[in-house]
Amino acid sequence: MRTTVASEYSAEVHHVPIEHRFNPYSDNGGTVLGIAGEDFAVLAGDTRQVEGYSIHTRYQPKVFDVGDDIIMTANGFAADGVALIDRFRNQLKWYKFDHGGKKLNIKSAARYIQHLLYGKRFFPYYVHTIIAGLDEDGKGAVYSYDPVGSYEREQCRAGGAAASLIMPFLDNQVNFKNQYEPGTDGKKKKDLRYLKLEEVLELVRDAFSSATERHIYVGDGLELLIVTKEGVRTEYYPLKRD
Amino acid sequence: MDIILGIKVEDGTIIATSKAATRGISVLKDSDDKTRALNARNLIAYTGESGDTVQFAEFIQANIQLYSMRENDIELSPKATASFVRNQLATSLRSRKPYQVNVLIAGYDTKTDTASLNWIDYLGTQVELPYGAHGYAAFYANSLLDKHYRKNMKIEEGLGLLKLCLKELETRMPIDFKGVYVKVVDKDGIRSIEGY
Amino acid sequence: MSDPSSINGGSALAMVGKECIAIACDLRLGNQSLGLSNNFEKLFQFGDKTFLGLTGLATDVLTLSETFRFKNNLYELREERSIEPSTLANLVSSTLYEKRFGPYFVGPIVAGLNSKTNEPFICGFDSIGCIDFAKDFIVSGTASDQLYGMCESLYEPGLEPEDLFETISQALLNAVDRDALSGWGAVVYLVTKDKVTKRVLRTRQD
Repeated sequence: MRTTVASEYSAEVHHVPIEHRFNPYSDNGGTVLGIAGEDFAVLAGDTRQVEGYSIHTRYQPKVFDVGDDIIMTANGFAADGVALIDRFRNQLKWYKFDHGGKKLNIKSAARYIQHLLYGKRFFPYYVHTIIAGLDEDGKGAVYSYDPVGSYEREQCRAGGAAASLIMPFLDNQVNFKNQYEPGTDGKKKKDLRYLKLEEVLELVRDAFSSATERHIYVGDGLELLIVTKEGVRTEYYPLKRD
Repeated sequence: MDIILGIKVEDGTIIATSKAATRGISVLKDSDDKTRALNARNLIAYTGESGDTVQFAEFIQANIQLYSMRENDIELSPKATASFVRNQLATSLRSRKPYQVNVLIAGYDTKTDTASLNWIDYLGTQVELPYGAHGYAAFYANSLLDKHYRKNMKIEEGLGLLKLCLKELETRMPIDFKGVYVKVVDKDGIRSIEGY
Repeated sequence: MSDPSSINGGSALAMVGKECIAIACDLRLGNQSLGLSNNFEKLFQFGDKTFLGLTGLATDVLTLSETFRFKNNLYELREERSIEPSTLANLVSSTLYEKRFGPYFVGPIVAGLNSKTNEPFICGFDSIGCIDFAKDFIVSGTASDQLYGMCESLYEPGLEPEDLFETISQALLNAVDRDALSGWGAVVYLVTKDKVTKRVLRTRQD
């Protein structure tokens, strides 16, 4: 005969099985921005990496020179971003082995990245991808993608956490949206023109310092990669660290 | 899936409401009139949860008529009528069981000699519109009316426009709505237009 | 998308300039994806130089605009003067907080000039009346993210009235063009010490 029962838990019946679910994604914040000029292209990103309310690091570059004067970023879930860029770099290396060191032009790189992304259509890379470089005519080119590979060539594009803050600013300052010639009673739109590199850098820095002010996932530093016919060069500007 | 549609023209407002009364997959009736006259120059058309609709419309009707009885036969203007209805719906929204009724109010103001069409949904969202509809019909009717509607149309032109909308709705709507009742509210009051 | 504050769509914005303020809003009223009206103003005037902007659930915008019209009328009868912007702000705050556990789904903003000193005043609120006092600008509505981005980059302190008008217009226009639930027309009120100007802006219609 039993006199004492130490615990009743062993006698409990679980009607509902306990489920554990692994979430394969997270959001590492950050924001990126690409602008194409007449004979150059820039891709910029902040250097803060976060998870929830924690700042993991204040300097983690996410815009890369992937070779052949193509610069690339994949913003969102950082692990997927790194994986995607690594895969592209690797494929570019094999492309060179197979084709006697031939230079991959940006148009082909763009189409190839679509296939990398769509290849994982049912377990996507959780990133907003942007690449930049020069096209066959030496004109600046920016291509941007959704997570599953839908893409488009554009003059400019903001991606990531503060895309909604920056994109309307770019519409206004790069494509002159809602701007009209003074004295024409809103009849004549302001003519489009290519911006100079100095103007573009100024816009990028304004865009990021504004985004830093209002978005907690943006800040610490701004790393800019610039492609010209001379090659790729990097610039760094500090952003607010609060 | 009920259709209620309104078009305001220069000297009056046209209201069309589908005749079908449906419940689930059945058409219960093919001569259902989804309107109530509130007073001489105010007409309410309604759709929504069956049961709520008629109850609400007749409650409004009774109160508008009570107002005229108390106030020396003064008739409530379309603007005041719409405000009253909106207020009832907005109050009801935050009650234990809100009325789920969407309405259009066609009216003619004899003081300012202007026709009006008020669109009000069950939340109490009210707008004065040149033309409007509730439910899925709005998607088809609005795009047609955006293109063809002109200011200062006569009632006949308005009825022509209505014909265009109904033709589209007959081809696009997935179930037969059994035609419509058409009514016009103008300076002479509310009248039915036959042959629809 | 059954979030009450983004069923109808709409945005508003206020800015402070040099001895002036400007307040602006879009004109869209929609039902989810369907646009219903391109003539739905979300700004309401109180006294000579004070404005209230209300974005969010349209039925609450209408209810509150009527509530405040009523309360303001009583205030003017009792005090025999028009309401100060800061007083209106506290009135809005307490009115919203009365409904702490069943709120109105709105994002109000207040902007105006003090009747005596002509000092600019702007502020914004959350749906239960917590006041956000700001020195520069206040944004509200479904395009608030976009408005923050625009204002933070275009705004500078101490703008003259006409420059303030251009700034607020560009900020609003470019912000609502990136929001599907806002746009369909816009209005701007420019308030200086002796004049209120209303301007209706030409905008994209998509």
